[in-house]
Amino acid sequence: MIALRDVCYVRLGTTDLDAARDYATTILGLEVAERSTRAVSLRSDHRAHTLTYFEGDPAAHTLAFEVDRREQLDEAAATLERLGHRVRQGSAVDAEQRRVRAFIGFDDPTGNAIELAWRPETGAGRYRGARDAGITGFSHVGLCSTDVERDERFWTTVCNARVSDRIGDAPLLRIDRVHHKIALFPSDRAGIQHINHQVASVDDIQRSHNLIREHGIAVVFGPGKHPTSSARFLYFEGPHGMVYEYSSGVCEISDELLYRERQFEFGPKGFCEWGAKPAIREFNT
Amino acid sequence: MSIAIEQLRHVRLACRVPEQAAAEAQQALGLREAFRQDGEIALRSDARAYTLILGDAAQGRSAIGLEVRDHAALGRAAEALAVRGIAARFDDALATRRQVKALLAFATPGGLDVELVWRPQHKGWRFFPSRDSGVTGLEAVAMRTPSLAQDEALWTELFGLSVRDWVGDAAYLGFDAAHHRLALHPSAQAGVLAVEYAVESVDKLMQQHYLLREQGATASHGPGRRPTSGQAFLSFPGPDGVHFSMIAEGRRIGPDDRPRQFPAEPSSYCAWGSDCAIAEFQPGAALRPRPALREVGKA
Repeated sequence: MIALRDVCYVRLGTTDLDAARDYATTILGLEVAERSTRAVSLRSDHRAHTLTYFEGDPAAHTLAFEVDRREQLDEAAATLERLGHRVRQGSAVDAEQRRVRAFIGFDDPTGNAIELAWRPETGAGRYRGARDAGITGFSHVGLCSTDVERDERFWTTVCNARVSDRIGDAPLLRIDRVHHKIALFPSDRAGIQHINHQVASVDDIQRSHNLIREHGIAVVFGPGKHPTSSARFLYFEGPHGMVYEYSSGVCEISDELLYRERQFEFGPKGFCEWGAKPAIREFNT
Repeated sequence: MSIAIEQLRHVRLACRVPEQAAAEAQQALGLREAFRQDGEIALRSDARAYTLILGDAAQGRSAIGLEVRDHAALGRAAEALAVRGIAARFDDALATRRQVKALLAFATPGGLDVELVWRPQHKGWRFFPSRDSGVTGLEAVAMRTPSLAQDEALWTELFGLSVRDWVGDAAYLGFDAAHHRLALHPSAQAGVLAVEYAVESVDKLMQQHYLLREQGATASHGPGRRPTSGQAFLSFPGPDGVHFSMIAEGRRIGPDDRPRQFPAEPSSYCAWGSDCAIAEFQPGAALRPRPALREVGKA
């Protein structure tokens, strides 16, 4: 069993590093942590960085999880290789770029690039966003899945994820008390479907909604409230069609023994209890 | 000694077509018809017998109903108003129609009709909304007035209301723990600007927002949050230039609170930056008189 501690960082390719950086700061509200000619790393919370845009293919997405102990990287590598996944050992240079002590990489059954990282760095000084978006941290990722049943099995049996709820066949998976840190959505491709940052309050969501609209950026879903996690949300478009989400008020599941996942309909009402309708491909039948 | 106001009791709206206004108010807010009498339609929203009356504009102006503790308060009010040169009359016929023991009617210097009532009726059976709007009761009323300073003085000096906040010249007035029950907004003509109903939660307010959108209607202001009261709000057009608002959350006033002056700018009316189509909340814009609807808002 690969014990995932938490989501750690996301790496995205871009053909226009300056535009991606401008978006991540002026719209998303993140703080530039580090920049080179080839990449820009951004902070969203106490961590050294949680999002990196690098010069490369915009379809190249990587999601990393933190593990507690160095040995777990080797154990995970052995497990994954036994199951037929090709495991990449992270080089010292790449680890330095990622601000982690060590990491391995592999593809999940759909082909999503996943990394497991050990001892990711904590940022120096407190996080201060480029704008007052109220961001409290990078929190979860929606992943595309070409076979949600197979992928749910991977994340819940090979890894330590548990199903918190399902919207249609799309499972929302937790690896700690937070309702979900991974969500799998049926798709015909591999890649990150959306990236979530938590904000402090529903006020931050509503304020950002009007600000984002004023910037002429497409709001693709919300403001709304998820009946599953009770989180108030806003989804909007980022560079290269990436969907970013702000949410606030996600519920926690503290009783692992008594909690029972629920089944919600795969339709607007399963995604929003306020009546918003998603304009997101993976959220529509 | 001031005459204490116990409760904001009801709002009477002067409408061109009361029947249609009543149907729309029930649909929009989930209110329920209580009774009809003399061409007026009374709607319930909570334990009170009614909180909204839709009446023919030809038969009287818009008015607000406020409750006082005892009959003596009505007498004291009549005397105090007379001293200020404001004529007040005990209206027994109107008292019967409003289902109260006694009623004193007068108009403020700005031209707002007020009905001071004693012993208004409370219902024994709970309110059951006509649809699941989440309405929990009449919360506040916002008024247009061409004589804001005089109206403010009347409410604070004679009736003991306190100013809770100002936005430019607009004044939020309260008499209980709610941030405000009356709001006065400068305008070319006197009348009701918005009738505000409390709903259970922000969820119900946002559901209303999407419901309106589905119906092809647009909100006149919001969804938003007022920096003054902390209330989340959604306003949408009601009958004859009046707006309805749904209100959720909001801060309670304590002994340490004091009135604050906010600048006359959009961000003082909404902390979320929502769109606003209400002229009175667009500071700087020249206030045009409302279109002269038949008899509505006229003396």
